[in-house]
Formats: sequence, structure tokens, C-alpha cells
Amino acid sequence: MLNASSLSARRAPVVLPRCRHWRAALLLLPFILLLALFCLAPLGWVVAHSVRGDDGAFSLGHFREILTSPFYRLAFVNSLDISLRSSALGLVIALAGAASLRRVPGRVQNAVVSFTTMTSNLAGVPLAFAFVILVGTNGVLTLLLRQGMAIDGFNLYSRSGLTLIYTYFQIPLGVLLLYPALDALDDDWRHAASLLGARHWQYGWHVALPVIAPAVCGTFILLFANAMGAYASAYALTTGNFNLVTVRIASLVSGDIFLEPDLAAALSVLLTLLLVLVCAVNQILLKRSYRAR
Amino acid sequence: MRAEWWHRLVVTVLLVLLALPVLATLAYSLAGNWGATILPDGFTLHWYRLLWADPRFLTAFGHSLAVSVATLALAALVIVPAAFVVFYRFPALDRGMNLLILLPFAVPPVVSSVGLLQLYADGALPIVGTPWILIGCYFTIALPFMYRTLADGLRGMRLHDLMDAAHLLGASTPRAFVLVVLPGLRKGLTASLFLSFSFLLGEFVFANILVGTRYETLQVYLYSVRMTSGHFTSAIVISYFFFTLVLTWFATRLGRQESQV
Amino acid sequence: MSFVTVSGLAKRFAGATVFENVGFSLEQGEFVTLLGPSGCGKSTLLRCLAGLNRPDAGSIHVAGEDITDVVAQRRGIGMVFQNYALFPTMTVEANIGFGLKMQRLPGAEVARRVAEVIGLVELDGKQTQYPHQLSGGQRQRVALARALVVEPRILLLDEPLSALDARIRKNLRDQLRDIQRRLGLTTLFVTHDQEEALILSDRIFVMDRGRIVQADAAETVYTEPATEFVARFMGSCNLLDSADSARLFGRTVSGRLAIRPEAIELLAPGAAAPGDLPATVREHQLLGNVIRYQVESLGALLLVDRLNRGRDDVLAPGSTVGLRVRGEDMREVA
Repeated sequence: MLNASSLSARRAPVVLPRCRHWRAALLLLPFILLLALFCLAPLGWVVAHSVRGDDGAFSLGHFREILTSPFYRLAFVNSLDISLRSSALGLVIALAGAASLRRVPGRVQNAVVSFTTMTSNLAGVPLAFAFVILVGTNGVLTLLLRQGMAIDGFNLYSRSGLTLIYTYFQIPLGVLLLYPALDALDDDWRHAASLLGARHWQYGWHVALPVIAPAVCGTFILLFANAMGAYASAYALTTGNFNLVTVRIASLVSGDIFLEPDLAAALSVLLTLLLVLVCAVNQILLKRSYRAR
Repeated sequence: MRAEWWHRLVVTVLLVLLALPVLATLAYSLAGNWGATILPDGFTLHWYRLLWADPRFLTAFGHSLAVSVATLALAALVIVPAAFVVFYRFPALDRGMNLLILLPFAVPPVVSSVGLLQLYADGALPIVGTPWILIGCYFTIALPFMYRTLADGLRGMRLHDLMDAAHLLGASTPRAFVLVVLPGLRKGLTASLFLSFSFLLGEFVFANILVGTRYETLQVYLYSVRMTSGHFTSAIVISYFFFTLVLTWFATRLGRQESQV
Repeated sequence: MSFVTVSGLAKRFAGATVFENVGFSLEQGEFVTLLGPSGCGKSTLLRCLAGLNRPDAGSIHVAGEDITDVVAQRRGIGMVFQNYALFPTMTVEANIGFGLKMQRLPGAEVARRVAEVIGLVELDGKQTQYPHQLSGGQRQRVALARALVVEPRILLLDEPLSALDARIRKNLRDQLRDIQRRLGLTTLFVTHDQEEALILSDRIFVMDRGRIVQADAAETVYTEPATEFVARFMGSCNLLDSADSARLFGRTVSGRLAIRPEAIELLAPGAAAPGDLPATVREHQLLGNVIRYQVESLGALLLVDRLNRGRDDVLAPGSTVGLRVRGEDMREVA
């Protein structure tokens, strides 16, 4: 029956209606089930087994092994190095691109955004192959460089090569994240600043950057997390021979040499902790971001 | 004013940078013979003809399509009612949901695979090596995109006002949901479905580690033939890319129409 | 020679002409309003003057200097925007001092001038607050202070009061006029509100679809509208075609006959003289201090305004009245 109390009850906080809306809660069940089975359960297994010693008891042995092994430490160093560099480079390019994108006509903007979304699909295995064609040992650009400028080629299968690929797939993501964030910049601020004597870079530095700083940091963090967790491109390019954390984890469970799921679990926990930390910082930054009015 | 040409230049450079790998691959897939020279010797559709006649490729492509479509159907059926329920009955859960859907992002597929392999290889749910585990994992991949889009749509349509109006006019909650809410979500939902589709087609990690050649998907097939001719693999890449191009084009068109309404 | 001279100015956007061959001049220290409905091109014209838009033709001279090709940074023009455009991450002080900082003035000098102008716009005590903590009226005063502190040669205002509540708008309007008079600053003010224009301006330029159709003293624009458009735009106006005009007042006009509602005297039946027009009251509207009557006379509908002298003074519908208009209050307009 529709009366004042039933209307107000419908908008009451969660605690009371949960008993009343049990049918609605049922609809949430499949969702929770799927999430539990395919996201939470594996995560739980990983956490549980990372602290499981060889005899089955609680042990931090795996972590000790990883942190003292130069091999695994190198994996982390490589991953961090490539991720940080590619994210920074990708961010700068994406920021410049997104900033300029807002100043071209609307139709061009839409076309470029569509194009960027499409090229973001070229990630993983296809991207690795495309880069081999482009800058591999006999790649088009490699040959051009060798002939034109007598630079003796560029090793795609190295840390810098991977950084290049990673930067490439960071750029579309960066552009797609920053482009709407730049909406926060009111055009009139630019006009007011120029009438007050500010040149372009002065406006950018004094007015625009402080406003979008949280969004830029947030984007950097997302790019970094994206890079740290990336696997397919590096794997396809170097067939699992390059020492990255994700590649190491996969090789420990795929039985390439030894099958050591518990060690893989420990590595995974370290990686995930890093990423969770990074995502948490992102959330905090978002909360502090500038809200007009 | 004078800055206009600079902005156009920057955007052009960006486009060129992004297009370069695609163009190179396209050229390679159409090339007759391309040794260590800058330009190829001739152009041909030979590789494409070879590709599309290869039963193994077609099977892999079919597998990818099947798994992706099944995932998206499942996702639509599960996530849409869930999002509606959260926004309508339990609005306080929205924040929790936003954190939950971050999980697949914060936890890389490699890490999940470690647990997935051990949990579902045998025992109660022996789904490793079957398409079923892929569908489950792909669900978690599509989840953030779809939930976000649905949440934005539900938030923008003033859900409670619409439902109240529908109730006052005699509709039950389920009927109101189907007749009033769903049509409003249609465009955004379809756009996110297309986007997720193209994303799923490009998924490699789960497909390689959890299933491998037992149910070969497109990306796994691509990786396995990497040692054959570069022209052939380029043809695969371009075919796949073209397919996702069409999908994302649809997605952005629909997404834009939605925002113009 | 005028302080500001604009001649032959034209601007086109995506194939459509916003305005063409526009020219006018401003004397030093005068307050001119660019008045017109939305879309008439007044904001675009203002932005051309500021250097934010590039005109396709024409020239702009300020104090004898041709500034048509000078960038906005160096024009010495101050501008106040409709939505304030305050820099959100800076305090009131920092916002106001921004222009001085760009001129690389020493810190003490900046502080002194900022304090001075804060006193001028009566924002004392708000120095360390951020824009989102201020009310609309306060934000607009910060915007004004920021434009004034750099001592511009010209002040441009693009509908600065439109986003404000009615009461704040009135207060700010008076304050604006007061400051402008004190500083003797040449000011160009854009608005679509004719009441604002009348109150604030020395001269009014009325704009219609890209053309300045009348440029006169405020008083003149109201009492002697040049065209039907101006007559309609400035307050209410009775506009009679030639047939009605001939029938009622015995005047033939090629355009229209314009009579302001307040210029028609309403006489009660007993007070009517032979020369007055007979009329019947149809209905009335209470506009506060004025009562607006709709009367019918010899087949023509007229609006007549009378001061509100109390409830007993209101004429009921159907009453017979007499109408009297002086010859000089009837104007023929194009």
C-alpha cells in the first residue's frame, strides 16, 4: 500500500530493507558467485599458499627466497624500470596529445578519439609482431635508420625495446584517460590569463597544471599498474626469456622448468601488494581532486 | 590563433605514431616478398587467401567468437539486474561495488591464473582446459567496463523518480525495470558490449595459461604460428584488427549517440 | 580623436557571418553598453576587441595605436567574464595578483596594489579564501578586482551580472558604476538586459543580428528609438500600423507609430475632454509600482501604464475611459 511511511521506507539505508528486499538480493547472487569463483577464490588461494612452506606449515620462506635471490630481484628491477619509464613517457606524450586534441575542431576530436580507442586494441601478441616488423632486426624503420643515419640498428629484444612497446600501448590509454579529465579546464581561464599577460606556458604552469594534477597523477598510476601487470607483449616478443615478474610467475606455474606454484604465489602476492598500494594512492588522489564549486 | 597549427601538428604526430605499427603490419601482410629491403617486392592477397582457407585458423577464430559471445551474454544477464538492484535497493553498496570491480584491475591475470590453475584443475570443478573457465575469467574482465557504463547510465536517468512514476501508474517493479529502465540503458550497454567484445578477442594470458591448445583461441593460435612466415602472421593480425576496428567503431558511435541524447 | 576607434570590423564563423562592417568609437572615461538579444554578435564583438578572437576584416585603434594585430597579452585591456573565470587553485589574493605577477613586479608592490583594490571592491577579510568558498557576488568582485589591479586602458565586461541573483545583481551594478566613475575607466559592457543598460550607461549601442542599429545616449535610445526593433527591445512599446495610426490619431506613417505605455494618460469618464480617445478597459496586470492596463480603443489594443495609487484606484474591466497622448510622445519608427 502506498503511503508516506512505505515511501520513506523505500529510501531508508541498507540495514532495514535487506530483509524486505530479499528477492532483490537474490538477483545479486549469481554476480557474487561468479566474482567469488573467478576472482576472490584464486586470490585467496594465492595468498594462502604464498605463506605455505614445503611441509604445509606457515612459513615466510618463499618471500625470503625471492627477496634474497638476485634473479628474482632483477625481475622486479626490470619490471619497475620498464613500467616507470614507459608510463612516464607515455604520460607526457598522452598529455601533450590530449591537450592539443582539445584545441582542434570537434569533428576531428571525435575521429581521433575513435581512432585511439581502436589502436588500443593492438596490444599483446599482435603488437609484438607489429613491432618486429617495424623495428625488429630487419624491421622497416631499422633498415631506414641504418641506411639513412648509419645508426647500427636497435635491439628490440632488450629492455629499451620492451620499454618502447610498453610506451606504445600506454599512449592510447593515457589519452583516453586524460582527454575527459581536461574537461575540468574552463576555456575562460585561458582567456583571462592571456588578458592578464600570461603566455601559454605560464597559463599551463600556474593555472592548468594545479587543476589537473590529481588526474595526471592518477593516470600515471593507472598506467604504471597496467605496465606492471602486462604479460602478453613481453612473452610474445621474447618467448618468456626476458626476466620480468609476470613472466617469472607464469613460468613457475606453466611447468617450463620447475613447477613451483607456491613460489609463484609468493611472487604474485608481492606484485599484487605493490599494485594494490598503487591503486589505493590513486583513490586517495581522486578524492582530493579539484571539484569546481 | 597562431597556436592552431601547433595543435594540429601535435595531433597529426600522435596519429602517425599510433598508426605506424598497424600500417607496417598491413604493408607486410600484402607484400609478396620482403627481405632486408625497405620496400617490398610486390603486392598480393596470397597470404589472406591462405589464412582464410586454413581450418585451424577458422577453428581458433570460431573458438574466440564463441567464448566471447557466451561471456557477454552471461555478463549482460548477470550484471544488468545486479546493477539495477544495487542502484535501486541498496544504493549504499555502490561504493563497495566500485571497489570490487577494481579487483580484476589490481590483480593481474597472471596472478589469478596461479590460483585458478590449482583450484580448478581437478576436484569439484575441473574446468581448466575447457572453455568454461575462460568464460568465467572473461566475465571478470568485462565486468569493470560494463558495470561502469551501467552505473553511469543508471545514475544519469534519475532512477528513483522513474520507478516512482511507473509504480504510481500501476506497474510492478520487474515490469517497470523491463519497460522503463532497460530501454534507457540499451545504448550504453550495447556500446560497452562491443568494447568488451574487442577486448576479449585480444585476451591472451588466460587463454594461454589456463587452456592452451586444448581449446585454442585466436591469440594462442597466433602465438603458435609465430615461427611461420611473417607475412602470414601479419595477415592474421590485420584480419583480427579489422574485425575489432569495426566493433569499436560501432561502440564509439553508439556511445556518442548516447551522450548526445 | 576618440579614445577607441573600431572600423570596418567583420567576423565569420564556419561560413556564417556574425557581423560585418561594424564601426564605432568610445570616448575616454565613458561607459558604453553593447545591448542586444542572444546571438546578435555582441559577445563576439567584445572578444574581438579583447584579442581573443581574430576579426576577418577591419581595424581597432586604442589611443591612436593600431592594436588589430597585437596579442591579447599586450593590449592593456581588462575583462570580466560572465562566469568569473577565477583560477580555482589560487586564493583571492593570488587571483588578483596574477596579472601583476606576469608583469614581474616586486612582491611588495604586488601586495600593496592587491590590498588597495581589495578595499575598492570591499572584499576585506576574504584574501585567503578560495573561489569555491565565495558567493557569486563575491566571486564577481574578485574578477573585477583582478581586471582592475593591472590598470587597464579599457575595461570589457561580458554579461558579468547575468549569473547572479536579482538582489546581488542590483548591489553589484551600483558598485560597478561607482567604481567606474571614480576611476574614469573607459568601459564597454555587454548585456541583453535593457534595464541594466539604461541604469549603467552613458551611451547605448543597440545590436541586432550583427549590426549596430542605434548608438545614442541612454535616454535618447529609450525615448527616441530609431527602429521598431529598438522600440520593442527597450521596455514595452505600443506599435501601431498605418491603418490604426490614421484611425486613432490621424497620422499617416510609412513604418510604425511608437507610443510608450507611460506616455498615454488614462482619464476617468468624468475627467475626459472632447479631444480624448474613447476606450474600454479589457484587463490589467499588477507590476508592482505600476499597473499595466490593456485597453481597446476604436478597434486597436493599447498598453497603458499608470502608477499604482492603491487598490481603490484600479479600474475594473469594462470601464470606459479616455486616452490622451501628446504629439511629441508619438514617434514614427522604421
